[in-house]
Parts: sequence; C-alpha cells; structure tokens
Amino acid sequence: MLQLKNVDVCYGSFKALSNISMTVDTGGLVVLLGANGAGKSTLFNTLSGLNRPTAGDIEFEGTRLNGLKPNAVVSSGIVQCAEGRKLFPQMSVHQNLMMGAYVHRRDRQGNKRRLNEVLELFPILEEKAEQPAGSLSGGQQQMVAIGRAMMSRPRLLMLDEPSLGLAPLVVKQMFETIQQINSLGTTVLLAEQNAFAALKIATHAYVMENGQLVMEGDREAMLGNEDVRKAYIGA
Amino acid sequence: MNLFFQQVINGLTLGSIYGLVALGLTLVYGILHIPNFAHGALYMVGAFMTYTLMIDLGSPYWTAMAGSAIIVATLGILLERLVFYPLRHSPPIHHKIAAIGVLLFLEATVQLFWGADFRRIASPYNGILRFDGLIIPEQRLLIICGAITLLIGLQYFLRKTMTGATIIAMAQNRDGAFLVGIDSNRVAMMTFGISGALAAIAASLYAPINLVYPSMGNLVIMKAFVIIILGGMGSIPGAILGGMIIGFAEAFGGFYFASAYKDLISFGLLVIILSVRPQGLFAKGAH
Repeated sequence: MLQLKNVDVCYGSFKALSNISMTVDTGGLVVLLGANGAGKSTLFNTLSGLNRPTAGDIEFEGTRLNGLKPNAVVSSGIVQCAEGRKLFPQMSVHQNLMMGAYVHRRDRQGNKRRLNEVLELFPILEEKAEQPAGSLSGGQQQMVAIGRAMMSRPRLLMLDEPSLGLAPLVVKQMFETIQQINSLGTTVLLAEQNAFAALKIATHAYVMENGQLVMEGDREAMLGNEDVRKAYIGA
Repeated sequence: MNLFFQQVINGLTLGSIYGLVALGLTLVYGILHIPNFAHGALYMVGAFMTYTLMIDLGSPYWTAMAGSAIIVATLGILLERLVFYPLRHSPPIHHKIAAIGVLLFLEATVQLFWGADFRRIASPYNGILRFDGLIIPEQRLLIICGAITLLIGLQYFLRKTMTGATIIAMAQNRDGAFLVGIDSNRVAMMTFGISGALAAIAASLYAPINLVYPSMGNLVIMKAFVIIILGGMGSIPGAILGGMIIGFAEAFGGFYFASAYKDLISFGLLVIILSVRPQGLFAKGAH
C-alpha cells in the first residue's frame, strides 16, 4: 500500500531523515518506535506533504506522493492525526469532526454516515457535540482528533503519539479503539513511545533512531528482541 | 436627551464603518499573521472606484458599490498572489515593508490618475428622517443598516458554511487545517478578497458624508489598528466591538469635550485599555 524508498529529508544542512525505506501493507497495523527526536513526526509530516523529501520516493497505492501538497495527500487517502492533536479549539466538537470531512464536503450523505460511525467509536463525543473542543479533557480531545481524522475517510491512518499525556486507563481504551479501527478495514501506521502497548496490537514494527530505521520485524520478533525490550519496554 | 440619542446615531455610524474596516484587517491578520498596512489604501481605492463608477460612468449608487467591492476584492487577491505569497517564507518584517510599499504605490497611482483634489460623492439618500425630534440623515441610517446586514451575512458565512469555516479553522490552528486537507492558498486568496470587499463597501457607504482623496485611508487604517489591538488581534467579535467602542468614544468625546480632540480619544483609549488588559479585550484564542 505504502512504500518508501531511500527517503532523505533535510532542514537546511541538517539531515533529519536518512535513507528511509519501509513498507506498509494493506490492512496492517504498523508501529514506529523511537525516542523523542528520532524523526517519527518528521517522517509523518513528510508523508502528509508538510515536508518535502530531498531524495528518494514515496509511493501510495501506485501513485508517487513526492511533492504533493497536504490537501492532495488527504484526498489521496493518507490522513494524519498529529501529535498535540491540532484541533480547532474554539470550534465545537461537531464542527471539528465535520472539518475532517472537508475533502468530501460535497458528499453530505456519506459524511452523515461516516459521522455516525465515528460516534459509534467514541459515544462520549455525541454528548459533548456542542462543547468547544478546547474545553474537553486530554483523552476526549484525542478522541476528537482521531474522530476528525476518520471523517477524512483514510485508507491509511497515521497516528502520532496518541497516548501522550493520557491517564493509563484512557491509554488502554485508546489502544483498543485503534485496534478496532484497524479491524474495521483502515490500515494504521502508529508512532509510539509506549512500546509494549503498541507492539501488543501491531502486525509489524520499525524502530527509528537518529533519523534512520535501525530495526524491523513482526510483533513476536520485536517483543522477543532483547535490544527492543531493553531500550523501549524496560524489561 | 435628544442630543444624547443624536450622538448614539453618530457613534453607531462611525462604529459601523470602523468595524467593517477593522474586520477585514483582523481577518487577514488572523489567517496570515500579516499586519496589512495597505488595507487603508484598499479602502481609499474603494471610494475612488465608487466615485468613478457613479460620477464618471453614471452608474446607480448600489451598482457602483457592488462594482467597487468586486474590483477591490480582485485587487486584494492580486496583492496576496503577487506580493504576500512570494514572501511566505520570509521573515515577518518583509511583509510589513511590502505592505507599506503597496500602500505608497496605491496612493501614488490614484494621485497620478485622479489628482490630489478632494472630491465629493453626492448621496442619492440625502433626505432626513425625524423621529420625535431626533434627526437621522438617511445616509447614516443606510450605513448602520448596511454594516449590520454585512456583519450578519459574514458571521453566517464564517460559522455556517464549510467554505467560511476554513477561514476560522486556519486562524485557530494552521497545522490542523493542513491536516484536514484545507488548501491554504485558496483560504488566503478568499480572505484577502473578503477583506478588500469589506473595505470597499465601508468606503462606499461612508464617502457620501465625507470627502474622497488619496490619503483618506491613512487615519482610518490607524484607527482600525487601534480597534484590532483593543479587540485582540485576529478576533472577529473584538473587531466589531472595538469599532463600536472607538465610534462611540469619538462621537461622545467630540460632542461633550471638543471635536478637535476626537482622534486623540481613540489613541488615549488604546493606552488606557492596553494598560489594564495588554492582550486586548477578546484576546482568548486570538493571535
């Protein structure tokens, strides 16, 4: 579904991503592990069209993505739910969700159906529909952010640190919801520092360090890998 | 008591014009973070376009106003494309210098073609309405009603339509707007277009009770900056309420103290409000 071949990204003379090659298969739940500053968000922003690769190729369902603008990337089916949520804080929850349907704005019936599906995933958002998104708790804001991304009807959903700053119980629910989204047919690329929880639901994983992919493998291989356990799981 | 209500009408008239101009300025600032010093020049070009369409080409007042709004909206879009878009990766000071350059360019161009003389647009609505001793010139009533209608229309567009909501979304979270697929170029052009049209309509409404001349936008833009600083940079309700505060302060201050000092009142108010509330009245969520 998604293929990266030798992708480099530079900020001026600083090379933020170096020689990234990875594959995400249709229907998979691929986890990207890495510490702060490893380059996970840079990679996501590059896939979203916010950064331009200086070398290499990005292909999504056979189409080359290099140089596409963010709106064209969303239209092509890749949607990012970014770290920090990036909600519209003074807009209501309902308005935030509907803004997610911007690229499909002419398909009102389809958006209505999609909204119902999102509200089934996050029933609490129906109660909070008229509240400003900025007034919700961290966990509820994360639900709005994922819900908004789902309203864009992604075929590949990229989630950047969705568990960041959330209470343990909420984190558990969040990972269950991500697994549910995946099981309903959306391919997921998940960047996480909470490695154990992320690997438990993953089909495949990559490890990133200093802007490079240093390891990859399926769930069992990664959970069993001594280095991964020491560096990211702490056991 | 009649004199008091007379000042309320004057305050509403001034506040409506200031509010419309400030709204255009705050919309552009909210989205692109550009303090568009050339906005006063767009206001001035709006007045000259209405003058030319009405006096030189014989169009009716409303047609001239609509034509002027379309021309200045187009000029605003061109400004965005030709001046501000190429500067999008430059340091903020470049936008400010460019805006001042555009202001000087537009003033000099208008002066070249129309001269520096003061001109007058004769209002087709020059009657006077009387209510129980209260005198309301028709043009002032038109300004108040016109501004209120525009503000309601703009609020509807921004809050209730998906296209309008893209402007609000971009102002509240630029990255968030990119992530849902909003095209920043489209929003920037639309915002400059709306801002130009608002300036042209404000000028066309106000010109019949004022004079038309190349530097007419300078004082208005200074007041509009006072208003958006008072109201909170980027805040739409702040621009409307700030416009009314300055309009009323000038009308009442000019009448009860001295009309010669009415401009001083705006700037005095700015100093006082910023001393008490440095972020402006409606700064929550604004830039």
